Amino acid sequence: MESKRKWRWGVHRWIVLLLIILGAVGVSYYAPVQPHIQAAAEKLTEKPWFSLPVIGDFYPVNTFTSMLLTMVIIIGVAYTVKRTLAKGEMVPRGITGVMELAVEALYNMTEGTTGAKWAKKIFPWFATILLVVLVANLIKLLPGYETIGILHHSEHGYEVQQLTSGIATVVNTKAHEGEGYVLTPFFRAQATDLNFTLSLALISIFMVQVIGFQAQGPRYLEKFFNFRTLFSKPIFGFMDVIVGLLELISEFAKIISFTFRLFGNMFAGFVLMAVIGVLIPTFAPAVVMLFELFIGLIQAYVFGMLTMVFMAQATQGHGGGEEHAAAH
Amino acid sequence: MTGDIVEAAKFIGAGLAMIGALGGGIGIGMSVHGAMNGMARNPDAYGNLLTNMILGIAFSEAIAIYCLVVAFVMLFVS
Repeated sequence: MESKRKWRWGVHRWIVLLLIILGAVGVSYYAPVQPHIQAAAEKLTEKPWFSLPVIGDFYPVNTFTSMLLTMVIIIGVAYTVKRTLAKGEMVPRGITGVMELAVEALYNMTEGTTGAKWAKKIFPWFATILLVVLVANLIKLLPGYETIGILHHSEHGYEVQQLTSGIATVVNTKAHEGEGYVLTPFFRAQATDLNFTLSLALISIFMVQVIGFQAQGPRYLEKFFNFRTLFSKPIFGFMDVIVGLLELISEFAKIISFTFRLFGNMFAGFVLMAVIGVLIPTFAPAVVMLFELFIGLIQAYVFGMLTMVFMAQATQGHGGGEEHAAAH
Repeated sequence: MTGDIVEAAKFIGAGLAMIGALGGGIGIGMSVHGAMNGMARNPDAYGNLLTNMILGIAFSEAIAIYCLVVAFVMLFVS
């Protein structure tokens, strides 16, 4: 059975070549247009969904739709895995096998860092954040992502060409002032929206504090407000207070660094793809896309890993003083 | 005229902000240097070193990415 399988490389090679030629031909007819780049997510409708008194208006933005798509994918995978497991097969195949492999590897990694006692508590946060960011970053592979959407009037827009009724494409010629259109895609990578990364960072750091309190109780606060040695040690007690304050500040710095690391990486990739697509439309974007996928993988791993490491640190506490005193 | 000066200042500022990527480059080079040394001396530790090297690279790269974010904010957020 196994030996009958043919080596298909010979066919795939021609498919790739055909796609490259198709790309080159297609580019000469419809040259890529530099998209309108803005840091905030684009609004899909002019009218707000609903408004809250203090916070302001809520618009249906295009990162929100892709978040919904991400959720659908993750829930679909979870449902498939659950259904396959309910059948009771000993050797899982397909997506279930992949998930089992991934979960086992991640759990072993968690156990190696946090120890067996806290692994059960920390693992769900680590794995959830990793999976969400991973799917959110890899979802860019879907065709039509960031390219299909609604046309909007814009000051510095491009001319459009009617393909069939109701469907038009933007062509690469500058329109006259105030007559052009720009594209607002239906889907845009979530990590290029600060709201997504900031909320993930807030969840992560908040749960680090919660796990710290669960592990050490109120003594967790001593990490930040360390007045115990203020009078017993003349100078170093004062230093301990300052170190505690620095810890407190670094907790907020962690939120900012979490937020901007993911946002910066993904937004830089988005801009790079746009610019490379205009400069060298054939073949080069594929290489950049590959690099972007790698970056997306790494960033998902780093986000999850850092959450796990911070949680592990919070469970241990700094308590070097007592252990030191006990040893003597 | 004033709009042109503002536009030019945006580009100059974005270029200046990217000087900070220097630090990220040095950091990535140093971490790869250390990891390569370790791999050459102890090839068995290859996998472990690679993972940690990529983590370290991601950290130092993040610093350069902050500069990139500042540059992008200057260019594209109006």
